[in-house]
Amino acid sequence: MPTLDVRELETDSAMTLSQASVGCDFRIQIVSGPQCDRLRDLGFCESLQVRKLADGRNMICSVCGTRLAISQELGEQVKVTPL
Amino acid sequence: MSETTQPAPDTIALAGNPNSGKTTLFNALTGEAAKVGNYSGVTVAVKTGEMFTPHGKKLRVVDLPGCYSLKAGSPDEKVAFDFLVGGEENDPAKQPKLVVCVVDASNLERHLNLTLQVIELGLPVVVALNMVDLAEKAGLRLDPQKISEELSVPVVPMQANADKGVIDLKHAIRHPFPPAADPHWKRDGEDSETAGRSRRTFIQMLCTVAARRPEQDQLTFSDKIDGELLHPVRGWIYLAVTMFVVFWAIFSFASIPMGWIESAQAWLAGRVSGMMAEGDLQSLVTDGIIGGVGSVVIFLPQIVLLFLFIGLLESSGYMARAAFLMDRVMGRVGLSGKAFLPLFSSYACAIPGVLATRTIDSAKERLVTIFIAPWMSCSARLPVYFLLVPMLLSRDEGHWVQALVLFGLYSIGTGTALIVAKVLRKKLGPDEIPSHFMLELPPYRAPQWSYILRHVCGRAWAFLRKAGTIILGLTILLWALSTYPKSTSDDPKEQLANSAMGRVGAVIEPIVKPLGFDGRVGTAILTSFAAREVFNATMAILYQVEETDDEEATRSALRDRLAAEKRADGTAMFTPLTVMSLLIFYIYALQCLPTTAVVARETGSWRWGLGQFFFMTAFAYVASLLVFQIGKLFGF
Repeated sequence: MPTLDVRELETDSAMTLSQASVGCDFRIQIVSGPQCDRLRDLGFCESLQVRKLADGRNMICSVCGTRLAISQELGEQVKVTPL
Repeated sequence: MSETTQPAPDTIALAGNPNSGKTTLFNALTGEAAKVGNYSGVTVAVKTGEMFTPHGKKLRVVDLPGCYSLKAGSPDEKVAFDFLVGGEENDPAKQPKLVVCVVDASNLERHLNLTLQVIELGLPVVVALNMVDLAEKAGLRLDPQKISEELSVPVVPMQANADKGVIDLKHAIRHPFPPAADPHWKRDGEDSETAGRSRRTFIQMLCTVAARRPEQDQLTFSDKIDGELLHPVRGWIYLAVTMFVVFWAIFSFASIPMGWIESAQAWLAGRVSGMMAEGDLQSLVTDGIIGGVGSVVIFLPQIVLLFLFIGLLESSGYMARAAFLMDRVMGRVGLSGKAFLPLFSSYACAIPGVLATRTIDSAKERLVTIFIAPWMSCSARLPVYFLLVPMLLSRDEGHWVQALVLFGLYSIGTGTALIVAKVLRKKLGPDEIPSHFMLELPPYRAPQWSYILRHVCGRAWAFLRKAGTIILGLTILLWALSTYPKSTSDDPKEQLANSAMGRVGAVIEPIVKPLGFDGRVGTAILTSFAAREVFNATMAILYQVEETDDEEATRSALRDRLAAEKRADGTAMFTPLTVMSLLIFYIYALQCLPTTAVVARETGSWRWGLGQFFFMTAFAYVASLLVFQIGKLFGF
């Protein structure tokens, strides 16, 4: 779909949430992967702001003021750009 | 009968994401009539209660398990989904007449998704905009009127934990119920993916106009505490200290009320025996009923404390942090941090623990967690531990050494459980759909005392009821078995050997002898297969501990009696090695029929329930045998 293509272009500079550095704010560009629906249910929706609070086997992120812990594999499915 | 003439009350359901405060609202709506479920914190089964609208109409309120969407990803979400669509056969008559969608006002972006899905089902909806106080504190500018207009459903701002807005909500759900709203964000013929996108776009639009956030939120108080409690090194120290303090407190604080119960029991036995003529009836009442039930009721304070601490940890938000930390450990054995909560609950009772596994997404991981849950030493083992642990140590040892031994017993059970989990997880193979760790870390909150106390009282009452019914019945039966048939001899030992119990003991003695036990201990173990707590009662009856009216407790009297017991060859019956062997048996044996029944129900097959029962019993026997025989070889 065209909208997706535009997004993909936008995310040239994007990184995954797993690669993102701790303490910084990001905007979620694309959530894609086998668990993307679950991630969206949890709050990782496109265009929302996210802050990465801690890294490790599981990382802690803050989305809309809620702290969510997700594994590195799930973090790979969330593409973000720095704010 | 009035029930047959009155129509059944309409059913309304409470739905919402986890941690949106559904259960708090449920309790606020239903008040004292609330049936507190058998699991604290996370609701994993449907709970029902009754409430009255301001016009006096009775409604049945159903509290559904928290879920993020209606796609039924995990078993508890399926429970909620099935209920909303009227069961598996989609029967409109079974659907609730109205759904109160509970949303966290500070998290509308995430919580409204479920609300939109419920509206799409065509059910009348009222939105309870809960925790508005937290949203305001976070600087959010809420416009409930606007939300109501956009969703075409009534929206009630409230703060359920302080009972604010509950009356307004009751007004909103009075008859006639509001009509079902039109899901105007949804276009006809959309597939699930585009429907999800439409919902998200609509929610974002709604939140920009009706729930505006301040530019960028600062690190909150919870974030700062997390920085410390989830620290890679210090976090573990806090976790270990917390767990140790819990066990230590159970051991030391409980001794005070236990003393009161002991005195009351002794006083009662003294009074009753003084009032009755000597004979079988007096023996039944004092030794059988008061002694038997008393030896179980005495552990009420410990059980209350255990449930109190678990309630405190869950209510404050620390339990989720513990699950986060434990994910690394659990990962080593093929489980995730989500298995921690069910396993920790199993320290109180395996049944709520087994039910709580419904929050685990992976079916195989859930099976493994259910399988090992009974090895987390539950509160029913505590009476046995409390009887036996002091026998391992000299009397004047302080409480902390006993707590350390107790901690050790719990660790043995837990450690073995984790090893078995690893083996079993490998055997079951990987999941068809790999599931990964995802968990919401709720903000730290002051514990909700009213909820915790109600829950603890519920558990205490359940324990007392069990003591008054099953255990009372069993103790009377045991008393009869150990008294009849009577022998002509006056010697209590010969009398016991002649009784039915003595004969059973003689039959099973060869089986338990390699473990270091005699026939009486064997009989006590046999009787405790119905419920572990019965062990103490049986031992008290079998070793003929009599009630005295001074403050000396039945338990310590029994301990003295056991310590003085000799084998036929004159050596002490209960050496530290025998006690250790007995403790090991109790750590591993699955002596709880209700657990087996619940496991069979939750796994959908008796094969798992019975397999677990036989495996654990055999494991307990072998472990106990090894401890005793190897210990003997080393000269203990």
